[in-house]
Amino acid sequence: MRKHTLMMSALTLSLALPAAALADTQSQGRGNGHGQDQTENGRANSQGRGGQDRAERSDVRGRGHAERDDDRGNGQGRDGGNSRDRTVVVARVDDSNGRGQGRGADNGNGTGTDRAVVVVRDDSDFRDVLRDLEGRDPRERQDAMREFERRLDGRDLRVVRNRDGDDYIVLIRDDDRGLIDGCPPGLAWRNNGCLPPGQARQAQTNWYDNWLWNRGGDDVRYSYANGYVYQTRQDGGLAGWLPVLAGALGLNNIWPQQYRYEPVPQYYSSYYGLGDRYDYRYADGVVYGLDPQSNRIQQVTALLTGQQWSVGQRMPRGYDAYNVPYAYRTQYRDTPDSWYRYNDGYVYQVDPTTQLVQAVIQLLT
Amino acid sequence: MRRIAPWALAPVAALALAACTNAGNGAGTAEPADQTLNAALGSDRQFATLDEVITNAGLDTVLEGVGPYTVIAPVDAAFTAGGATADFTSIELRAQGAELVRAHLLPGSVTREDLITAIDRGGEAGASMRTMSDSLLTFTRDGEAIVVTSEDGATARFTGEQFLASNGVIQPIDGLLIAADDDAQ
Repeated sequence: MRKHTLMMSALTLSLALPAAALADTQSQGRGNGHGQDQTENGRANSQGRGGQDRAERSDVRGRGHAERDDDRGNGQGRDGGNSRDRTVVVARVDDSNGRGQGRGADNGNGTGTDRAVVVVRDDSDFRDVLRDLEGRDPRERQDAMREFERRLDGRDLRVVRNRDGDDYIVLIRDDDRGLIDGCPPGLAWRNNGCLPPGQARQAQTNWYDNWLWNRGGDDVRYSYANGYVYQTRQDGGLAGWLPVLAGALGLNNIWPQQYRYEPVPQYYSSYYGLGDRYDYRYADGVVYGLDPQSNRIQQVTALLTGQQWSVGQRMPRGYDAYNVPYAYRTQYRDTPDSWYRYNDGYVYQVDPTTQLVQAVIQLLT
Repeated sequence: MRRIAPWALAPVAALALAACTNAGNGAGTAEPADQTLNAALGSDRQFATLDEVITNAGLDTVLEGVGPYTVIAPVDAAFTAGGATADFTSIELRAQGAELVRAHLLPGSVTREDLITAIDRGGEAGASMRTMSDSLLTFTRDGEAIVVTSEDGATARFTGEQFLASNGVIQPIDGLLIAADDDAQ
């Protein structure tokens, strides 16, 4: 499943360089929420939006503990302009062939026949790969695709293409949650794992532990101690560990060096109204705000499901009820032809009969 | 923990009533209050324990933020229902409290009318909703009541009135949606 997704993304980006370049231009002033948005051939052009105060920088930055992230976007969307105006970029799609037919939709004008689409911002981390893909013959391109897969492997983000050929970046939540091999700092490996025997017995008495932390099915168990969750196999061997929210990833704690994270893409930064005060990091469904000097967690900013929605694929389980934010209910209400579901800052349009995702809609104010 | 003055409860109740709508599947008009989820939970005495768990875990900023989220909100009595003794407001159980809260949060704004519509559409299977802890909750009807069941079989019933906050919805329930792990008893 994962490989399949990666390959799809690689294929997507192999064809998407013009769109990415276009999106880089489009991104100017996004979030200022007024003026006329227009789409042509399924790609959005933004005109008349006055803001120039958003960083023209890459959407996704380098990751990992060793990197001091000093190339963050400004993420000023919520405060950058007329915050009460909403701008949603949509494009009409002909259901018969899935090709985009450009049409602009201003705030509040969405109808049931609009097929929303959006825009990817450029991503410097992938730019080299994209350049490698450009103009190559299929065989050469395969090598570049492998490189692209390698870069995405283990990361909690995906670039997904919608049916009109536009790409967008989503944060996801891997099944392993970023599990780390070995023992966490300060604990030595023992025959029964990293926990001192007393702590191990204590953890097993907590009736809620396995329920709260369980992610891996019946063949593994979970216990919690000292800010970390431990995954053990049925034979008692330690499968891995990870720091958790409000534990090792609690307020005022320094980010554990071994724990991976994703920088927050620009869209999420705009949607959640993140500013420059903190260095924002995403891990295991949580956006944290860190003091950029000390690397201490100063804020838990947002929670995400990390569910991956892809246009053309079935809606994930668990979205049976309508859940669109109030401000968008008039614009995106369920009809016999289309459902709308919210997840992690996006609204998705779904075919009620096939349950296939038809379009993704960005929500920016 | 934020304490509540009795005089503060009357306007909250009034807001709660005012926020009740026939939202349906977007066809109705949702009229949210000005209060955020965090402010509403902090000013309603029936959620004193939940509010303390949220603050203890550092999640108050999440419920003060953009969201939106739907809080399937255990009332105070839910934390001791069935003889449960775990104190999720304690420092020792701070991380567990955070995960507990995530397991009671849904993405987006889900009104009771939205749930009822989905339940009725789903028939006996009810309606399935994803939580912020990546688990699934199943919503069904028992007469006029809405019942919510976790993947491990813990159940609770909706109680009281929903509250439409500025950044989501509060749906009070009478139990915790975590089931005892038999092997760990």
